[in-house]
Amino acid sequence: MTSQEPAIEVRGLRKTYHRAFRKGGNEALRGMDLTVPVGSAFGLIGPNGAGKTTFIKSILGIVQPTEGSIRVLGGSPEDPRIRARIGYLPERLHLPGTWTAPAFLATVTRLKGLPVDPTVNLRLLERVGLSDAVGRRIGGYSKGMRQRLGLAAALVGSPSLLVLDEPTDGIDPMGRMEVRRILQDEVQRGTTLFLNSHLLAETERVCDRVAILAGGRVVREGRLEDLARGGVRWLVRFAPGANMEALVAAGFVRGVAEGQYVVEAEDPAALNGALDRARAAGALMVELRRDGTDLESVLMGTVEAAA
Amino acid sequence: MKPVLGIAGYVLREALSRKFILAFLVGITLVLTVVALSLRIEVVDGALAASRLFGEELRNSIRSVDVALRPVYQAAAFLVFYGGILFGIVACSDFAPSLMSPGRIEHLLALPIQRWHLLAGTFLGVMTLAVGGTLYGTTGLVLIFGVKAGYWTAGPLIAGLLACVGFAAVYAVMLTTATLVRSAALCAASGFVFLVGGIIAGYRQQMTPFFEEGFGREAFKAVTLVLPRLSALAVAAGDIASSTPLEVRSLGLLLLGVLVFGFGALAVGFWRFEGKDY
Repeated sequence: MTSQEPAIEVRGLRKTYHRAFRKGGNEALRGMDLTVPVGSAFGLIGPNGAGKTTFIKSILGIVQPTEGSIRVLGGSPEDPRIRARIGYLPERLHLPGTWTAPAFLATVTRLKGLPVDPTVNLRLLERVGLSDAVGRRIGGYSKGMRQRLGLAAALVGSPSLLVLDEPTDGIDPMGRMEVRRILQDEVQRGTTLFLNSHLLAETERVCDRVAILAGGRVVREGRLEDLARGGVRWLVRFAPGANMEALVAAGFVRGVAEGQYVVEAEDPAALNGALDRARAAGALMVELRRDGTDLESVLMGTVEAAA
Repeated sequence: MKPVLGIAGYVLREALSRKFILAFLVGITLVLTVVALSLRIEVVDGALAASRLFGEELRNSIRSVDVALRPVYQAAAFLVFYGGILFGIVACSDFAPSLMSPGRIEHLLALPIQRWHLLAGTFLGVMTLAVGGTLYGTTGLVLIFGVKAGYWTAGPLIAGLLACVGFAAVYAVMLTTATLVRSAALCAASGFVFLVGGIIAGYRQQMTPFFEEGFGREAFKAVTLVLPRLSALAVAAGDIASSTPLEVRSLGLLLLGVLVFGFGALAVGFWRFEGKDY
C-alpha cells in the first residue's frame, strides 16, 4: 500500500438482499462512496437500518456487494493477506462458552497465521482488563467481559485496521473509559480505527472523522469539528453587572441564559475586536466557546434533511 | 492446509468440551472394560474349548477360534456401522450450524482464511472425531479378543473404517444442509433421511419389484441410483470383520460410489457457502 492510499476506499457500493420466492429485494446500500484515511479514527453513525452493519460486513468480505468497488488497505477484502492486517469485533460476538480466554486467543492467533505466544496473549488479556479471569470459562463471563475478550481477539497481531462494531456494548462506564483509552492508544500507534457505535458521545470522544449513513447512502462526512461547528457564531458569558446596551452596541446579541451573549466573528481578529469593545464597556468575560452543535444534533439534522 | 487444520482443531476442541461426546467415549471404555473383565475364553490347539461371560458358559461345542468369533465381529461391525452413523448424526449435527451462528461466522470469515477452509476444516474435524472414536472402539475389541483368544485380525478395524466412509457421505449432506439453513435439527434430519435412503439404495434390486411397473418403479430406480449404497457397505463391513467372503461384487466400486456421492454433496455445499452473505 502506498502512503497516499486510504485505509478504506469504497465507490458506488450497492447491496441488495434478495429473498427466495420474492421479487425485488431489500436495498441495504444504495451507491455508497466513502474514503477513510490511513491513521484516522473514523466513526460511522446513522439510524437503525441505515446499512452500517452491511457496510462493515462488505469491507470485510463477509457480504458480497451487488455493485461497486471496495479497497481495504490497498487490496481486496477477499484477499487473506489483507484480512490478516484487520482486527474485527462483530456486533454480537458469539464465543465458545466452554473455552478459556487464553485458549480462544490462541486459536484466533493460529487462524491469523501467527505463532502462538502465551505471554503476548496474556498481556493482551491484561490490557483489556481480563487478567483476573484467564482461568475461567468464557461461558461464565459477563456481557462486558465477552466484549473485552472480543476486543482482545481483534487486537491479536497488532492489526493496521481495527473495525469495531459496537465495541463498548454491555461494558460499564469505567470499562468504557478503559476501552476508549485502548482505542486511543491504538490510533496513536498508527492504527486506523473504524468505529460503528450507537453511543454518539463515545464516537465524539474517540473519532476525529465521522460519516453519517442514512438510507444506504453517506449523507454527510468530514472532520468531527467541521460537522459540529456552528459557523461563525461564538457564545460568550459575562460576569453579572455587564451593561447590556453597551454589549448590544458592541455587536453582541443576548442569549438564552443569564449573562450569555452571542457574537458573530469571521476570524480571531474580529472576535477579539468585539471582546475588546465589550471589555471597554466594563463587561468581564467568564466563558467563551464556539456555538457548535453536538453530534446528536448533527445526526438528527442530517437524517431529517436527507429523509 | 494450515487454516484447514486450524479449523479442524477448533471443531475438535469444541467437540471435546461437549458432555455427550465425552460420555460416549467413557461409554465405549466402560463396555470394553466390562467385556475384558467378564469374558473368559479357553483356547486349546486353536479351537475355542470354552467361553464364559459373567461366569455363565456361553457355548459348549468346540470350534476353531476364527469361526467362533465370526458372529461376534459381524455383530460388532453392524453395531459400529449403523450405531456409529446414528450417533454421529445426532452428536455432530450441531457443529456446522454452531460455527455458522450469527456473531461467530462473521468473526471467522473476517479472519485471513478462505471460505472453503472453514467447511473443509469442519469436515476434517468431524471425520477425525469419527475415525478416532471408531478406531478406539474397534482396536479395543480386537485387542481384547486377540489377547484372550490368541486370534488377531484387522477385519474389525477395516470394517470400522468402512463405517467412517459411510458416515463421511452422510456428514457431507449434513454439512451442505448447514450452508443452506443454520439448523442443527434440519442437519440431523437430512443426515437421517440420507442414511435411510442409503439403506434402501443398498437393497434397490430386491425392492424394485415391489413397485408397480411404470413411473413409480422408474422414479424409485432413479432416486436410489444416485444415493450411496450404505446397507451394501454395511454388509461388506460385516463380511470383512468376520473374515468371510464378500457378498458385494466389487467393494472398490461400492466405495467409489459412496465417495463420489460424498464429494458431490460437499461440492454443492462449498459452492453455496462461497456465495452466501452472513
